[in-house]
Amino acid sequence: MYNFNTSVIIEALPYLIDGIKITLFISVISTICAFMIGLITVFLRTMGTGFLKFIAVFYVEIIRNTPLLIQLYFVYKSLPALGLMIPPIWCGILALSFYTGAFISEVLRAGINSVAAEQYHASISLGLSKFQAFRLIIFPQAIRIIIPPLGSQFINVIKNSSLVSFISVTDLFYRIYKGAVDDFRFFEFFMIGALIYMVLTGTIAILTNIFENLFKIQGRMAKT
Amino acid sequence: MHWGDIIENFDFLMKGLTITLKLALVSVTGSLILGTILGVLRYSRIFLISWFAVAYIESVRSIPLILFIVFIHFGALPYLTGVPSSFFDSSCIALIIFTSAYVAEIIRSGLNSVEKGHIDAAKSLGLSRMQRLSYIILPLAVSRMTPALVSQFISLIKDTSLASTIGLIELTRAGEIIYERTYHESEILIFIAFMYFVICFGLSKLSRIWETKPYIYTEVRESIGANQ
Repeated sequence: MYNFNTSVIIEALPYLIDGIKITLFISVISTICAFMIGLITVFLRTMGTGFLKFIAVFYVEIIRNTPLLIQLYFVYKSLPALGLMIPPIWCGILALSFYTGAFISEVLRAGINSVAAEQYHASISLGLSKFQAFRLIIFPQAIRIIIPPLGSQFINVIKNSSLVSFISVTDLFYRIYKGAVDDFRFFEFFMIGALIYMVLTGTIAILTNIFENLFKIQGRMAKT
Repeated sequence: MHWGDIIENFDFLMKGLTITLKLALVSVTGSLILGTILGVLRYSRIFLISWFAVAYIESVRSIPLILFIVFIHFGALPYLTGVPSSFFDSSCIALIIFTSAYVAEIIRSGLNSVEKGHIDAAKSLGLSRMQRLSYIILPLAVSRMTPALVSQFISLIKDTSLASTIGLIELTRAGEIIYERTYHESEILIFIAFMYFVICFGLSKLSRIWETKPYIYTEVRESIGANQ
């Protein structure tokens, strides 16, 4: 039987907690940026015409159909060739934001499509501009419907942020891996790592539920 | 730009692509089988079994894939078997374990989407629990969950790139080996991204064709969320 040695974990705990801070920092910043990117993309995609719409669709399809690891490597290794020297952590945030932005734009699009088209036509006929109709009529309704999928995107960002360790950011996964390799204690470190990730994602899931109930409008349901 | 690198190393890259595709194919099959079993077990009447399925699905879904790959390759498999495991085996097992949880969740939502009327009708015709599942519920559910399954498998193909981190020489690692020698990262990375794009985008377009075909077993269903 494998003998568990809990003392290595207790010793490494402060080191791991620093890693959690970095992981959360990367996740929160990239989710906020990704939400902005997703919002712009979905606005161009649903309201824009011609070239702008093409750019939005092109961006979403390219990002969604290529692995995040390659995008991370691309940002990390190709930007210096163009003369842009960014610290690795910001490379990771950049790649994660663009990656998640594409997914969030799809989520937002689903939410917008679930708002009845008549409301858009009505707001246009009332004299609102396209942007005003988007901002005042459609977006407030759509955002309530998509709180759960947005929460799961945030969970995905936390999980995906473990990949930034391959571009030399000392995030949580890097520290788990390093601890496991240094002490040759794979079971202990991966158990505690899995536990930490489960706690982080579980907290987000609970928060999502709370927010969903908080912003729910009585009697309003998504059009099906 | 040095696009010549790609032509020079084309055979090597294609060898990597074959391994990526092989890995994806084995993992898709494995995760489909394991995921279906888990998805059905979740509805088991024995409390312990259904509880185990729920615990498995929920815990796997909240852990990053890379943790599984590294743990299985360096920790679990060598400990269980006593010999170092091959890169292909361990990444394959990790991908199956990871994706099966998502597949099980898709299967569950597919099973839930079957109307109660169908089940009641099957009950009144005297079909047993197992017969109901295999003749009525699964065929109905399968046609409804195809789009979700395809998008899950597309993300599995993208996830095979993570096997490069433990050293399996698939498409990503093959590219890395080339640009670590030549230092022309952008060209190789764009080419690899293009290869993944062709596979994944092609697959999603193929599934779109499949979706527009009329449902084999079900009534014609109104599409959800009409575009504005």
